[in-house]
Amino acid sequence: MTDKGGIQYSNIAEIKGPLVVVDDVDNAAFDELVEIETIEGERRLGKVLEVGNGKAIVQVFEGTTGLSISGTSAKFVGKVMEMPVSKDVLGRVFDGLGRPKDGLPDPIADKFIDINGEPMNPEQREYPKDFIQTGVSVIDGLITLVRGQKLPIFSGSGMSHNLLAAQIARQASVVGTNDDFAVVFAAIGVQYSEAEYFRRSLEESGALKRSVLFLNTADDPAIERIITPRVALTVAEYLAFDLGMHVLVILTDMTNYAEALREISAAREEVPGRKGYPGYLYTDLSTIYERAGKLNGRKGSVTQIPILSMPSDDITHPIPDLTGYITEGQIVVGRDLFRQGVYPPINILMSLSRLMKDGIGEGSTREDHAEVANQVYDAYSRAQEVRALAGIVGKAGLTEIDLKYMDVGDVFEKEFLTQATDENRTIEETLAILWKIVSKLPKNEITKIKDKFVDKYYQGE
Amino acid sequence: MTNSTITATIDKILNQTEKSILTDISGELSNSHQKLDDSVSKLEAEYDKIIADGKKEADKIEKQIVGGADIEARNKQLLALESSVNRVFTTALEQITNSDRNSDYANLINSLLEESTQILGTTEVKVFTNSKDRDTVQSALSRFPGSELSSETIDCIGGVKIESKVGSMKFDNTIDAKIDRLKPLIRKEIASKFGVNE
Repeated sequence: MTDKGGIQYSNIAEIKGPLVVVDDVDNAAFDELVEIETIEGERRLGKVLEVGNGKAIVQVFEGTTGLSISGTSAKFVGKVMEMPVSKDVLGRVFDGLGRPKDGLPDPIADKFIDINGEPMNPEQREYPKDFIQTGVSVIDGLITLVRGQKLPIFSGSGMSHNLLAAQIARQASVVGTNDDFAVVFAAIGVQYSEAEYFRRSLEESGALKRSVLFLNTADDPAIERIITPRVALTVAEYLAFDLGMHVLVILTDMTNYAEALREISAAREEVPGRKGYPGYLYTDLSTIYERAGKLNGRKGSVTQIPILSMPSDDITHPIPDLTGYITEGQIVVGRDLFRQGVYPPINILMSLSRLMKDGIGEGSTREDHAEVANQVYDAYSRAQEVRALAGIVGKAGLTEIDLKYMDVGDVFEKEFLTQATDENRTIEETLAILWKIVSKLPKNEITKIKDKFVDKYYQGE
Repeated sequence: MTNSTITATIDKILNQTEKSILTDISGELSNSHQKLDDSVSKLEAEYDKIIADGKKEADKIEKQIVGGADIEARNKQLLALESSVNRVFTTALEQITNSDRNSDYANLINSLLEESTQILGTTEVKVFTNSKDRDTVQSALSRFPGSELSSETIDCIGGVKIESKVGSMKFDNTIDAKIDRLKPLIRKEIASKFGVNE
C-alpha cells in the first residue's frame, strides 16, 4: 500500500460487457487496480487485464451497467488489489471484494496483502498428514480430510451441499493440539437466503468468532466473483502463515466463479474452450486451489473445501473435470441418496480422499481406522450389487449372506451416513458406528481387518 | 389301593410339584437377578449417554453464549475505536485548515506540484486549487514552465489538482486526497495510541 495516488484518464474508447477500454494510457501495469468514476461521482473498482499500444483493458468488478463513454473516467491507482489483514478480521463479514458487510469499519490492518498471493515454493511444501475432524461421520470415517489438503465437494443443483458446508464450518476442529483453528468461508454467487443462512448459522453456533465470511450474493455483479476466492485465500494465508493458525477455507460455489470467468473471456473475444469456458480455465483454477498447503518451518496450514455444483450432475463437465486434476480427491453428493432424504447424501463409492491414508491411524485417529474403513467400503459396494440383484430376482432369491449385506447397506445409510445437521460426532463415535456395521457380517466375511482388531472391536455373534 | 398308599402317592406328587415349583422359582429368581444385573449395565450406559449428550449440549450452548458475547463486545470496541480514530482525523484536518499559509506551506505546495507533474509526465498542465491557496500556488507555478492556474476554484482543505492541457489526464494531489490515501496506513498507529494492537 502506498500514499501515492494514481492518474485519472478520461479517454474511454469502448465499454464492452464487463470491460472498459481506456485510450492514451502510459505506465499502466498488468493487474493494477483501477477506480472507475461515473459522471455522478459513483466509484467502481476494476483491474487491468491487458496493456499495450497506449490502451488498457480494464475489467470492472462491479459491472459496467450505467456507465457511458463520456463522463466516465478511470484512475489507475498504481498498486494491485490488496486486502487489509489483521487478527481482527476474525468474526467479521465482508462482501465479495473484501469490504465490510456487517456495518463495522474496515479492520485496522497489520498488513496489506496482494490478493493474488505468492506461489508456494514446492520445495518448502510439507506433506499434509494431520487429521481435521469435521464432525460429519462419512467424511471423518471414510473420506478423511487432512490439514493442508484440497478436497472438493462435487454436488448438483438444489442438493444439500450448502447445509453440509455450513455444518463443516460450524463443527470443524483440529484434535490433539491446542493450535488455533479458523474457518474462512467464501460464498460465491449464492442466493441471499443462503448467504443469510451461512451468517446466521455461524453466529448462532458461536463459531463466528473464529470465522471470516465473504459473501458475494447472486445479485452482486458476476465479475466480483473472480475476486471473492482470492480475497478469502489472502486472509486464510495471513491467518495460517503469519499467525500460525490452522485454517479451513470453504469456497461455495466454484461453478459461479467459472461462469464469471467465462463471461470475461467471451467479452474479450477469446477463443472458447470446452463449453465456452476459456482455454486457461485449468490454469486459473489451479491459481486458487494450489493456495492450499503447509509450509516447512511454519506452524499453520490452509485446507480447502471448494464446493461446485455440476451442471446436470455431469461429472465430466469441464469444471469438476479440471478441478479433479488439481485437487486431492473429491466428495461426491449423490442425487439418489438426496431423493431418499438421506443427509448428508454423500456417494462414498464415487468419493475419495487421496491423503486419507496419511492422516489416520495410530497417533492421529485410531489404529484400526484404515482397515475398518476399507471393510465398510467393500461391504457397502457389495450391498449395492446385492440391491441391484434383488431388483431382478426379488429378495426371496437372495442367499443368507446376500441378505446380511443388504442389511449392512441399510444400517450404513440409516445410522452412519444419516446425521442431523447439528449433530457433531467425534471420531470415536464415528468409528464405533463403523464397527457396528462391520459386526452385521459374520467373521469369515471380514477379510480386510487384522484379527487383533476384530477381537478387540467386533460386536457380532 | 390302601389309604396309606394314596397318601404316599399324594405326598410324592406334592413333593415333586413343590420341588418343581421351587426349581422354577429359583430359576426365575436367578433370571431376574441376571436381568437386573444386565439392566444395571444398560442403565449405566444409558445414564452415561444422557450425561454425555447433556454435556455436549451444554458445551454447545456455552460456545453460543460465549461466542456471541465475545463478538458483541469486540464489535462495540471496534466502533468505539473507529469513532476515536475519526475524531483524531477530524481534529488534524481542522488544524491543517486553520494553519497559516507560511513558507513551510509554500514548500509543501511546491513539492505537491513537483510530485504531480512528475506523475503526469509534463509541466504543461492546468492547476486547480482552493481560493485560500491561489496566491501560494500562483507564485510556485513559475518553476513549472507551461503550467497555468485555472480560474475555477475547487473545494478542498489545501493542495492542488492538476490536469493535462487537453483534459484527458488528471491527478488529485490535494491534502484531502493525500489524507484519504494515508488513512488506512496510519489507522493502526493511531489505534495503538489508544492501547489497541500494541
